[in-house]
Amino acid sequence: MKTNNEEGCGLCNATWGEYHRDIQGEDMFFCCNICADIFQNMVDEVKKRTGWNVIDRVELHGNYSSGRECTAYSGNNQFKYYFRTYGDGRMMKFEER
Amino acid sequence: MVDCAVCGTRFSRGNYGELATHFLTSAGKSDAPHVSWLNRNITRTRIDQEMLSGMLSEYYSMNGKGIKDWIIKNFVDHFRGPNPHPFILAMQSYDENVLRGYAIEHHHFLKQWIKSCSYVIAKTDFDDVQDYELENIMTELHGYGKDEPSHHELLIEMGESLGLDRKSILQSTPLPATLRAVHTWNRIASERTWIETMAAMHSLELVANRDLGRYGAKYPYFNPEILSGGKATAEVRAFLKEGYEADVSHSYVALDIIEKYCTPENLEDVQGSYLLSANAFSDYLEARLERGEMIENKQ
Ligand SMILES: [Zn+2]
Ligand SMILES: [Zn+2]
Repeated sequence: MKTNNEEGCGLCNATWGEYHRDIQGEDMFFCCNICADIFQNMVDEVKKRTGWNVIDRVELHGNYSSGRECTAYSGNNQFKYYFRTYGDGRMMKFEER
Repeated sequence: MVDCAVCGTRFSRGNYGELATHFLTSAGKSDAPHVSWLNRNITRTRIDQEMLSGMLSEYYSMNGKGIKDWIIKNFVDHFRGPNPHPFILAMQSYDENVLRGYAIEHHHFLKQWIKSCSYVIAKTDFDDVQDYELENIMTELHGYGKDEPSHHELLIEMGESLGLDRKSILQSTPLPATLRAVHTWNRIASERTWIETMAAMHSLELVANRDLGRYGAKYPYFNPEILSGGKATAEVRAFLKEGYEADVSHSYVALDIIEKYCTPENLEDVQGSYLLSANAFSDYLEARLERGEMIENKQ
């Protein structure tokens, strides 16, 4: 899956760390396991709400403090949402926008 | 000793090179707490040991000012700057569940607070330090009779006004994040010096300080309209007002004491203990939100 974070971590774009996780059968780079957990939870939540089988691309804007405004794309469909997590990665809020 | 702000590992004085190596080793293992601290405080971009050492040295540098100034600026950055802590954002509107979460988790904070202050008293002979902490314990937990209830009593009354039961607050089990933070504060107080403990604890009072705009604060502790609007209960207003209307000059007394007794020998210890405490506080503030969410989801 593609994200707008092209340099580094799929969630926060940081280039620290060496963490990899399989997302939708594809190897993705993250700076740490918490970013990977957050990303995985987010993907699961988007799929649950949209019924999509595959997400092609996600745009994420924001940070830990304010939460993240996102758009997910699958084929010709798009889905806008906002989410925020606790420091340990658990979902705090997920809202459709 | 220069301390790792994340895990408290101590390195010899001024040894930012070893601290940088420690961070690089941790980042190499993708250790989440160390990586996220680097991301939020230093840089999101991977850099080499020499450059990181320089940036860490800059982070700890006093820039010709005192420890009071360094702590305030660092604290503002952590909690009330352009990227404030989520709890601060939540307090910009009136949310009863957030305040219920506040009432429950803060009870446990205050119980630890007086223990930490007591350690300070036990570990020093300076009259001004002991006087300050004695008065603090009275104000926070004991109060001065019916006309001047303690901060703790005002907190419980706020919870009651929002439908919580006094007994259920007092007998509640703290959330894991609160418990972790309380353990950190207790460890600092029992194992480290009185001045480190003072810095660890009294720096946290800056969260409610309304004089921080001149240090770059972008958000007040809470939206002051909560005090004037018609939504908040009288007890909520009484609790929030207590800190809000306190004399601004009084809010720096503890930091002035720390500055008075801070020496080149203990400076890095004070910084390190403050940073450990600030991290614990960030964790703890999330617990207030989490408790609020738990209450909301039950309704
Ligand atoms: Zn990341
Ligand atoms: Zn460390």
